Amino acid sequence: MAMTQNRWIGLVVCVLALVLLFVWIPLDVETGIVEKIRRQVEIGDALGPTVAGVFLLFGGVILAFVERPPSEPKPVDGQAIRFALLIVVYLGVCFLVMLVTGPAAVWVASQATGSDLEYRLLRDTVPWKYLGFLTGGTLAILGVISLAERRVSLKALIVAVAAVIAMIAIYDLPFDDLLLPPNGDF
Amino acid sequence: MGTLDYIWLGILAVFQGPEFVSLAGISISVTLAMIFFGFLLGVAVGATPGLAGPIAMAISLPILISIFGFTPDALLPVLGFLIGIMKGATIGGAVPAILFNTPGTPDAFMTTLDGHPMARRGLGGKALRVAHFSSVTGDTFSDIVLIICAPFLALLVEGYLDLPEKAALLILSMSFIAAAVGGSLAKGLISTGLGLLAAYVGTGQDFYPRLSIGNEALSEGFPLASTVLGVLIVGAVLHELALYWRRRDDGTAGTVMETEANQRLSLREIGRLMPYIGRSAVVGTMIGALPGIGSTLAATIGYTVGKRRYQKVRKDDALDFGEGVPEGVAATEAANSSVSGANLIPVLSLGIPGNAAAVFLILAAESIGGFTPGPSVFKFTTDQVNPELVIAFGLFTCMFLANLMNWTIGGVFMRAMAVMTRIPKQVLLPVVLLLTLTAIYVQETAMAAVWFTLGFGVLGYLMRVLAISPLPFVIAFILGGRLEDTSRQAFAATGGDPWFLVSSPVSIAFMALTAIVVVAAIRRGRTD
Repeated sequence: MAMTQNRWIGLVVCVLALVLLFVWIPLDVETGIVEKIRRQVEIGDALGPTVAGVFLLFGGVILAFVERPPSEPKPVDGQAIRFALLIVVYLGVCFLVMLVTGPAAVWVASQATGSDLEYRLLRDTVPWKYLGFLTGGTLAILGVISLAERRVSLKALIVAVAAVIAMIAIYDLPFDDLLLPPNGDF
Repeated sequence: MGTLDYIWLGILAVFQGPEFVSLAGISISVTLAMIFFGFLLGVAVGATPGLAGPIAMAISLPILISIFGFTPDALLPVLGFLIGIMKGATIGGAVPAILFNTPGTPDAFMTTLDGHPMARRGLGGKALRVAHFSSVTGDTFSDIVLIICAPFLALLVEGYLDLPEKAALLILSMSFIAAAVGGSLAKGLISTGLGLLAAYVGTGQDFYPRLSIGNEALSEGFPLASTVLGVLIVGAVLHELALYWRRRDDGTAGTVMETEANQRLSLREIGRLMPYIGRSAVVGTMIGALPGIGSTLAATIGYTVGKRRYQKVRKDDALDFGEGVPEGVAATEAANSSVSGANLIPVLSLGIPGNAAAVFLILAAESIGGFTPGPSVFKFTTDQVNPELVIAFGLFTCMFLANLMNWTIGGVFMRAMAVMTRIPKQVLLPVVLLLTLTAIYVQETAMAAVWFTLGFGVLGYLMRVLAISPLPFVIAFILGGRLEDTSRQAFAATGGDPWFLVSSPVSIAFMALTAIVVVAAIRRGRTD
């Protein structure tokens, strides 16, 4: 029995389904598949996840042992996956930068002026509310374009700044009730 | 209140809403204006390789909700805008396919086979006109079928299906979608299982939020927008970026589009194309009415049916399908466009989304409230007005208005959008990525939603890499809660009968059909 890519996927899904059915659901769901509440039998919280687990197990078994596709899918391109994951990690870092830029700028300003400023109170005032989004957003677009093009260019920087300003114009300027990232977290 | 009264109220709701602008004394309602703007945006995104209607719908939704709020008055302007995008994107996808051999949307791939050779022969303008005419004809036919079928189907569902039958119907729909999407039953089931699992994390009736591993963020469940947009949009953008990164040396050369003088479409030519358009419209509508089967399959079958007919009537010295004949463009475009209207039949009659665009219409309706797509909408109450039914007829009016725009200004705007194909993908996609994440944050106002979206984006990307369609995942995630609630109610209503799924002839028939669908898909998988 040759270990094709589909067979590997099927086996991994089978293992995940078994862990879900026999470990995760029993340990992390308080009620069973059916429950007796006040002399009435009712469906418990475990039934839904069990159905999900059965779908996964059934799919995994068919993929691993039954289905014979006309051709195997293209081999997984490890480099492309690493590139995609790098983009996600990079975006995560940019959103963290977004999260800390505003409070850091307020801290610097309060140190410089000696006043007692707090970002939570300034999160919806100009220019403070734009600092995080402008910095993190520009870095995000500039970085992803540069990663894709394998070079950093002035054009990418201009596109990034223009796009972030356009997003501020779309989401923030016309509306009083919308909060740009990361201001809702403060 | 009779049926005609409801239809009239639906039309009035579109035309007599709040005024957007007054032109020469004629009041233009906000809904009408929103359909128009949505339509223009749809043509633009359809014509842009790497973008598609659902991406524009996802990004627009939080802005629309901010503008119109969460009141029932917001439903028609918001849904009208989304319908405009859906209709516009249908015709826009053919532009890069014909002019640059790059399909703007996956279903426009078959259009490249004859459209691009026509453009290379200097007939790009004519190819675009053929694509536009065929696309709009197919779409209009499909909408008429939707408007006739959806209410009847809904009345049948409400009249004959009780809770056990509805639970069985949901299981049949999910199994059918798993079997039909992507060509592999096993991968469809895996995608459905993952979607159900995601739907059940942090939910349930007990005080303890199930499957939350004691984590506070998980205990509230995954936000709908983060999950759907993460898997569908972020996953797709990551996939496109990774493909670009691997193949960035491949260039797509531009084409001289209009060297032949006569690019117009004569009545005689239209008459010659009609048999192909008619066949493809029927094929596309039938395929579109089944949930989960995409327009790509419709385009393939429409093209094959058209080719068979063409072989019978072709003169010996004439070009063949694949060499740049207008009949090939017409057969493909009529088929893939006639899917869009029919795809809403399962949404409006059963509440089951059949494609990504339908998912966003449901998402909008759920976010705003006051309209729950499904069989309960079509209750023709006579003593008092059923507002959901008025909205449903308002939606049908929106679809016809979008079609009217397609017929009148769609062709001109579509040809003008050729410029969109020149926007570099590697510049556009990062902007779309940040725009999507910002749209989600604005809606959820918590960074946790961004982390969830990125996580589901990775899942959506890996599913694409492993050739697992993300559509069954999204549909199962949306229907998971309803399946559980319906099953709980059916179980209680039958007095705790564990065999409630096979308690009546109709539910037995649905479960038998489920078994047939699964067994047939397994047999197909073994013999392919």
